[in-house]
Amino acid sequence: MSRFLAKRLAGAFVVLVLVSLMSFAIIWLVPGDPTAAFLDTSATPEQVARLRQELGLDKPIAMQMIDWYARIIQGDLGRSILLNRSVTAAIIERLPVTLSLAGLALVFALVMGVLAGVVAAVHHNRWPDQVVMTLALFGLSVPDFWLGIMLILLFAVKLGFFPTGGYVPFTEDPIGWAGTIIMPALTLAIIQVGFVARMTRASMLEILNQDFIRTADAKGLKRAEIMLRHGLPNALIPILTVGGIVAGALLGGAVIIEQVFSIPGVGRLIIGGILSRDYPVIQGGLLFLAVIYLTVNLAVDILYAVADPRVRLE
Amino acid sequence: MKRWFDFSTAALGAAVLLTASGGAFAQTKGGDMVIAITQAPPSLDAQVTSAQAARNITLQIYETLYARDENAKPVPELSEDVKISEDGKTYVFPIRKGVKFHNGKELDAKDVVASLERYRKVGASAALLSAVDKVTETGPYEVTVTLKDVQSTFLDNLSSPRAPIAIYPAEEAAKPANQINIIGTGPFRFVEYKPDSHVKIARFDGYVPNPKATGRDGLAGKKEVFLDTVTFRFMPEAGARNAAFEAGEVQLLETAEGPTAKRLEADKRYVVYKVLPFAFQVIKFNHAQPPTNDVNFRLAVQAALDMEEIMAISYPDISQMDGAWLYPGAPFYTKTGTEKYNQADLNAAKALLAKSGYKGEKLTFIVDNLRANTDTATVVQQRLKDIGVNVELSVADWPTVSKIGFTPNGWQFWAHGYGIEPYEGPASVMAPWVNGTSQLKKDDKIDSLYATLNTTMDEGKRKDVFVEFQKHMYDNAVAMKAGNYGLFQVATAKLKNFKPYRIPRMWGVWLEK
Repeated sequence: MSRFLAKRLAGAFVVLVLVSLMSFAIIWLVPGDPTAAFLDTSATPEQVARLRQELGLDKPIAMQMIDWYARIIQGDLGRSILLNRSVTAAIIERLPVTLSLAGLALVFALVMGVLAGVVAAVHHNRWPDQVVMTLALFGLSVPDFWLGIMLILLFAVKLGFFPTGGYVPFTEDPIGWAGTIIMPALTLAIIQVGFVARMTRASMLEILNQDFIRTADAKGLKRAEIMLRHGLPNALIPILTVGGIVAGALLGGAVIIEQVFSIPGVGRLIIGGILSRDYPVIQGGLLFLAVIYLTVNLAVDILYAVADPRVRLE
Repeated sequence: MKRWFDFSTAALGAAVLLTASGGAFAQTKGGDMVIAITQAPPSLDAQVTSAQAARNITLQIYETLYARDENAKPVPELSEDVKISEDGKTYVFPIRKGVKFHNGKELDAKDVVASLERYRKVGASAALLSAVDKVTETGPYEVTVTLKDVQSTFLDNLSSPRAPIAIYPAEEAAKPANQINIIGTGPFRFVEYKPDSHVKIARFDGYVPNPKATGRDGLAGKKEVFLDTVTFRFMPEAGARNAAFEAGEVQLLETAEGPTAKRLEADKRYVVYKVLPFAFQVIKFNHAQPPTNDVNFRLAVQAALDMEEIMAISYPDISQMDGAWLYPGAPFYTKTGTEKYNQADLNAAKALLAKSGYKGEKLTFIVDNLRANTDTATVVQQRLKDIGVNVELSVADWPTVSKIGFTPNGWQFWAHGYGIEPYEGPASVMAPWVNGTSQLKKDDKIDSLYATLNTTMDEGKRKDVFVEFQKHMYDNAVAMKAGNYGLFQVATAKLKNFKPYRIPRMWGVWLEK
């Protein structure tokens, strides 16, 4: 197990180094700097140069890169140019928001997706299967920003069930938190529900055609018992991998959803950073997302190895 | 006759009673107002940013020595008045007594000196004070500013709202950029800034209004606040802003797209306001690159363009056809020299193009992804095709485009708005073209006119200088003004006494219960 873990950690480290290198390079390949956010079009070159100097943007790229790596080794993601504060602090401040959004969306996606997949598999080639698969295809096809706006119009503007956007921390008001987070989480989850449902259905169908299921059936076990005790637990093993992919996709999708629902999370921080060329925020935000993504995938790998001992041998 | 008299007396009495009671009821203090704004302010340190998103908030919190009135003329704000020496180089500002900062401290000359000195060091538009030689405290409530040379626009500069020369308490003014506590003398005090979410301000009950002010007057005047709090919510997504507004979570949309404004206009629950003019739409040429360095080529483009078509497509229902390089109503506004505006003459354009060195090469039109700007670029591209000019659009986000647009390579055309400059006045309109900043090649005529405007105290002569500038812009097609455009602002009908202005003023308004 320790060898397996060491291999996975080493791989994750290499990915992190690559992500940090790439995020640094991409940003410097695109023209534009944060002075555009501070100054308007009539700013003179002298004003721009002075501001660039104040913000440390006049240093050679190599120097900025050395500074960047020296800092991240110490766990310091730098200082946001626009927010005028530590990027780490800015991310930590917004992390509960993004995690609660992505976490709730993951719960929605897995619960709804697995249920829908099981229903489709059990009723294979009959109308419930067709309905579920059509809805899954719809979920996979619809753009999340469009769905978000439609849900806002229906549930917030027309019906008034939820606020149109914003965020209330759970610690301040749990009901208010639920009100602000359910609709964005549902929007974020819908695409993944379709994905999980299709994967669960395929996995269940494969399991349901196995000899041990036929044996259970021949023994005269009830159909529900066969499904829940023998079929589903075995079918869920591949779903674990799907869960890791879904968690990553939800974190990525949260960037758009936070924008649509005006949620002050890490995604919105990164978008704001990109639009105003706040380099430390972009670099730190991307690195942070990569760490989260790798952690989730590492956790899934470990869980998978625990659930299926054959994985360790590979 | 008697009956009429009785009736009219009774009606008049009832009207007076209704007005009095209605007014008293309507203007009761209270209410929390939420304004949806499109982007977060890069900073609330008013002096260090010229971003519109920042000044819309900071001008509710801070005040300046001089401020602009309804017609953008500089008038005293924290200063009682000004005494200007005969040589025009010394300005003595008597500071208003009894003015309180939000921390309870009384404003004095030390705060003003420290704030002006700070602006000279870290101000986003520090050039506004570049003529200043020294700032001295000449009394507990008196500040004397000595200029190196005469500057006719000094009071204009001092009152510019672009990156306001806000007056801070001296201890805050001693701090570096972006590291101050948000404390001003304005009618609202700062409450909280939740990054990526909102800024909240509240009525400052200790506010000392300008005793000379009689009513709301631009960014100066009487600033009476009825609202308890105002929250500026950062909502970049238009759909989310509109939804929040229609759901009643937001009471004012700082800006709304044309179709939304039209749709909401039909609903009695809302009032649509037009802030027109809000800015110029300008198409710039890069004078450092061929063929836009060729005056005949630029004149050909100027002759070809149909500005009405550009404005109608880029800003439907919210534009004005006007070739003058100032807003209508501004003291120096004139149409003299604008005869070559909106010619839409393809034959004249072809003749001029034949005189130029253009050989059909592909030219680059850089433009940011704001819909109106890309529309402008597209219309220009299509129109120029008709005279055989081959234009390719290069669309990117604003930071990218603004970076390229101030370098001499990689572009020939660039379209964007100029909003605050015409509001500030002639010197600000001319400034972007001085030293070749915007056209990327020095234009001696403009530089000389700008110097003359700045050093001429006689208003009549300054007007002549501006006319000459305007004529030069058209005769040489330095850049092209397409027209004026505006903003739609939409408010709940419960918001009373709101009058749109460049900066949405939250004083003088109240929410009907």
